[in-house]
Amino acid sequence: MQQHATIAETSFIRDADLRPARRPRGRPIHRILVSFSAAYFAGALVTDTLYWRMLDVMWERFSIWLITAGLIMGGLAIIAYVIDLVGGRRIDRPAWPRVIGYAIAVLLALTNAFVHSRDAYTAVVPTGLMLSALVVIVLVLTALVAGALTNRHRFGV
Amino acid sequence: MMHILKNARSAKLPRLAALLVAGLGLAGCNYEGGDPRKEIGANPPLPALQQYLVPPIQIARVAAWGNETPAVPQGLQVHALATGFEHPRSLYVLPNGDVLVVESNGPKPPINRPKDILTDWVTWFAGAAAKGGNRITLLRDSNGDGIPDLRTVFLDHLNSPFGVALVGNDLYVANTDAIIRYPYQEGQTSITAPGTKLTDLPGGPINHHWTKALLASPDGSKLYVGVGSNSNITENGIGAEYERAAIWEVDRASGAHRIFASGTRNPTGLAWEPETRKLWAVVNERDEIGPDLVPDYLTSVQDGGFYGWPIAITASISTRGSSRSDPIWWAKRSRRTTR
Repeated sequence: MQQHATIAETSFIRDADLRPARRPRGRPIHRILVSFSAAYFAGALVTDTLYWRMLDVMWERFSIWLITAGLIMGGLAIIAYVIDLVGGRRIDRPAWPRVIGYAIAVLLALTNAFVHSRDAYTAVVPTGLMLSALVVIVLVLTALVAGALTNRHRFGV
Repeated sequence: MMHILKNARSAKLPRLAALLVAGLGLAGCNYEGGDPRKEIGANPPLPALQQYLVPPIQIARVAAWGNETPAVPQGLQVHALATGFEHPRSLYVLPNGDVLVVESNGPKPPINRPKDILTDWVTWFAGAAAKGGNRITLLRDSNGDGIPDLRTVFLDHLNSPFGVALVGNDLYVANTDAIIRYPYQEGQTSITAPGTKLTDLPGGPINHHWTKALLASPDGSKLYVGVGSNSNITENGIGAEYERAAIWEVDRASGAHRIFASGTRNPTGLAWEPETRKLWAVVNERDEIGPDLVPDYLTSVQDGGFYGWPIAITASISTRGSSRSDPIWWAKRSRRTTR
């Protein structure tokens, strides 16, 4: 019993030791915005799938508004990120896997917004639906890959 | 089959490239139309179908004529009969030579998608968003010198009027949502009498193609109405297209109507061919799949004919006006691409 508690304590201390010496001040705003945009893009995949199965234009309209909202949030996130980065506050250095992954997702979503602006069926099936799925896949992969990389080194989160 | 497969594969690469290029905001390919001299005859070639990210839009710049006039052959002359109208959209000449100018524009379209905001802006730039007068102005040129000596407000407080037709002493005005009948005596310069509704027409709430062209049959018993579709290509749902994209035949005595011809996306002009006495129509076809696709057309209209929208793309006169409206029959005959 005694031994068990000691191990837990040790691992906690080791963890704490690996934190960067210079801690960024404050909480980066862009992370909240990124979460919002990711949720909007994931929502668009759901409504796209519903349109594909039901062919009710209501779902197609949900999709394009969700993608637009995601792009607005994404745009704000990029602005907030650049401000934090240039100002040197809150962020140490760019986490490149995250930045590149997210940039690809936003560019795909932008293309998807144009595809979704077509009229009727071809606004979604098949290109729009495929792009919506691709955006979500890129976002998930980015989170997994970048998460694995950044957690190991404990920087640039 | 092999031919189709080969085409499909070769089409993929440019499409992917266009996707990437346009994604970076550098869109631009195949924006020019084909040679108009080739696009005539009974079976004109159709260009390949394009799926754009940013469809080509050429905005006509709004410019006043000033002192300029169109150049015409010797012996003829062109000059403005009158100016200063509020969005004049159609003309009707009364039997005594009085000219009716219908000053009108459509109701403000709803914003259903982000694209509608951009479309509004583009159409505003082209002057299409100007406020309509919702009235009909009468011009009278008694001495025939080309300068009207009388200009009066003939009918006021209308609802996006477009078509006008006179049968005897009954003057019909096709508002965007109803045909209204007014009493008219020859020589009258203004109508103050309240109108009587003959029948409702498909109007709001979307009312994408709002103009209602109007034509009376030679014997005056029927009225023909051009009713445009409620969308470019059914993007507002097929339910919004009920009795639209069609030419109506309205019984003048009862106001009852039937669909005379369907599949005519936006029949903006109707007329009788004087020799064959057949109904003809100009039809505005769909946008955003290429500069020359789908071609707008002028056609004679068959009773019960179906003209393609929204299921088929064809330029062939043999298929246009077919009594068939089942998609599979059309799919076999419409040509999506031609060489």
